Amino acid sequence: MLRRTRTTKKLAKRIDLQYFARPHSFRRWRFWLSVAIPLIALTWFLAQRAQGGQKVYSSGGLSQSHAVFTQQCALCHVAQAGAFSSRVTDKACLACHDAPLHHANQTFTPECATCHVEHKGAMPLKATADAACTQCHADLRTRDGQPHYVASITSFEKKHPDFATLRSGQADPGTVRLNHYVHLQPNLIGPNNRRVQMTCDDCHRPAAVATSPYGTAEMHPITTTNANLSRPRDQAHMPLPEFGKHCASCHTLQFDKRFGNEQVPHDKPEVVHAFLLKRFGDYIATHPDAVREVNPPDRQIPERVRTTRIARNAAEWVQFRADDAEWLLYAKTCKQCHTVKPSGGSLPEVAKSNLTLQWLPDAEFDHHAHRMMSCTACHTRTPESRETTDILLPGIQTCQQCHRSQGPAKEAAEGRCFECHQYHDWTKAKPTKGNFTIQQLRGNAKRPVPEGE
Amino acid sequence: MLIDHTHRKWLVASAVALTIATAVYIPYALRAPQGPRGGSALGLTYGIAGFLFMLFAGLLGLRKKFPVWRVGRAQSWMRGHLWLGLLSFPLILFHGGFHFGGPLTRLSMWMFVFVWISGILGAALQHFMPRFQTAQLPMETIYEQIDRVRGQLAEEASQLVDETCSALEGEVSHASERQRAMSASAGTQGGLTVASGLQANEQVSTQLRQFLDAEMRPYLQRPGSHAMTLGQGAQAQKLFQQFRVLLPPELHSNLDDLENICEEKRQLDKQSRLHKILHGWLLVHIPLSYALLLLGAVHAVVALKF
Repeated sequence: MLRRTRTTKKLAKRIDLQYFARPHSFRRWRFWLSVAIPLIALTWFLAQRAQGGQKVYSSGGLSQSHAVFTQQCALCHVAQAGAFSSRVTDKACLACHDAPLHHANQTFTPECATCHVEHKGAMPLKATADAACTQCHADLRTRDGQPHYVASITSFEKKHPDFATLRSGQADPGTVRLNHYVHLQPNLIGPNNRRVQMTCDDCHRPAAVATSPYGTAEMHPITTTNANLSRPRDQAHMPLPEFGKHCASCHTLQFDKRFGNEQVPHDKPEVVHAFLLKRFGDYIATHPDAVREVNPPDRQIPERVRTTRIARNAAEWVQFRADDAEWLLYAKTCKQCHTVKPSGGSLPEVAKSNLTLQWLPDAEFDHHAHRMMSCTACHTRTPESRETTDILLPGIQTCQQCHRSQGPAKEAAEGRCFECHQYHDWTKAKPTKGNFTIQQLRGNAKRPVPEGE
Repeated sequence: MLIDHTHRKWLVASAVALTIATAVYIPYALRAPQGPRGGSALGLTYGIAGFLFMLFAGLLGLRKKFPVWRVGRAQSWMRGHLWLGLLSFPLILFHGGFHFGGPLTRLSMWMFVFVWISGILGAALQHFMPRFQTAQLPMETIYEQIDRVRGQLAEEASQLVDETCSALEGEVSHASERQRAMSASAGTQGGLTVASGLQANEQVSTQLRQFLDAEMRPYLQRPGSHAMTLGQGAQAQKLFQQFRVLLPPELHSNLDDLENICEEKRQLDKQSRLHKILHGWLLVHIPLSYALLLLGAVHAVVALKF
């Protein structure tokens, strides 16, 4: 039988009434840790401050283009006189960058940092969120009250209209007769009577890529509209096909059998005329007997057999031969592709080709980024197109098969607004003048050590 | 601290505040051009509110240091600490848009994660463990007094062994009144022959003293010592059962007391272990809280500047 009892009195006698005044290991640990850990944190902070300057305050890594200035916070965070705050203002951005206005009739202009958010890590600053655009374009209002664009676009998938060119049902304004169907047929007669199978990139290839596989003709330079491209990129944009590079090896411009395969320049009628006069003039100077030669009628165009005129002197001979050559060119050779109209003068008028360089006037498309795809994967109607007026631009649904607003996060291609659209109107860009020294930009940053050192 | 019906108002208020904060945050996060940011007006609001709650939670330590201050009941402060501290974490997450940011804020946020989780763990422990301890450890004492009580138990055990051995060695003067009474009634009881309590048995006495010196005193004097035979209830019981066979019945009560002393020691050891669990989280929670408040203050000043 148990004799021990635990009465309150007995238990109370056990207790040292001053126990709370004496140190105890648990309380001691709590106290010293409460001193040590904040001290360690403070030491860490001061060490970071000493090593990396203000970098410790940074809320995240800088973008790819600004990462080099990481040590120099004050480049962007410009201290204002008499103010505690050093928040970034547009002035700091404009010290290095020009930022042309978006539209003259926009109702407000956001600050640079509203769209181009820094301290989000090594990402391009142009990768702005859709919300930066849809803050206006979701419910578009303009100063004149008449938006030129669809008034409500919320994302590439939602409410984004089809491309304007396709929406309006317009026809290709180009005047150069081109039958894609014929050009893509097998066994076409190529240069030197070779049989060829043409492919899209025989004519449509980025500027930086080698020229046509069928060779290029030595042609006089012609004026093209490629130079109008606002921001040319070597391989991104598909330049217009050029006669000299892409057509001339098959579509030759011979003008007289006396000159073998020599061709007239692919240029304006006045230039062609001057060329012909010079070439025939040179010829008769070296072959004066040619005036008395009688040529049989030219039967190259059976329905319009032309009687050869007999010249009485060298000047007439040059005039008649030039007329014959021009008749051949404008009645057959040029007319095959161009619209040739009488002008009322001695020379006909060749309609401007009016080729469209950029089918998406408010967007940019990078063919180079899509080089892994076949052309007809997107331009599906091209192999069957027979008319010049056919617009062969793919619809937005084609793009939406791969591009999503969520982009890579959703195993899709980038589909945010910036992928195709530019906010700033770079055609109005002004050059900026840099004022910083390397020391100012880099500060005390360590020099990168080259590999192998 | 028991989280009971007295916390209902705090619970409801915190739930309402969190619901409002979330309801405001979701459309803000979806519509903000570049996502939620600490520097936006709403982001700053969340940050200021969260930091004020953290500060209040941190002031509990000060309130405890000065219990005589007339600044509200300690229990109210504790409830405020619990619920506002709990609420401060989601507010700070809303402030940063669920991003931990750069070096300073990242360190602060990880500290906050540990402070918050240790706080929740501590609150849960403080809610459940005291009741568990009361049920499991009827012999518990003040934690800081365990060392002292352990010494007292060792002393008590020595006295009991002395008393028992004296009785076994025939020194009646050292035997207790009860033992002497038992001795007088030795003979036949209920048809069974029982031994006289005061029979001299020096051999058993020696064994008992050896047991005290080799097993019991070391066990009682050392903290923990779960690996020892007496540290395990079942084995201790067997050991004492062997002594019961050797000792006359009138001395069994002494063995019962010795066994009870060992049981109390086992409970004190268990109390010591449970106390470390019950309060150990504070060794993480409190120091990290102070460090967090320090870095949080630095962040607040720097954020206002940049």
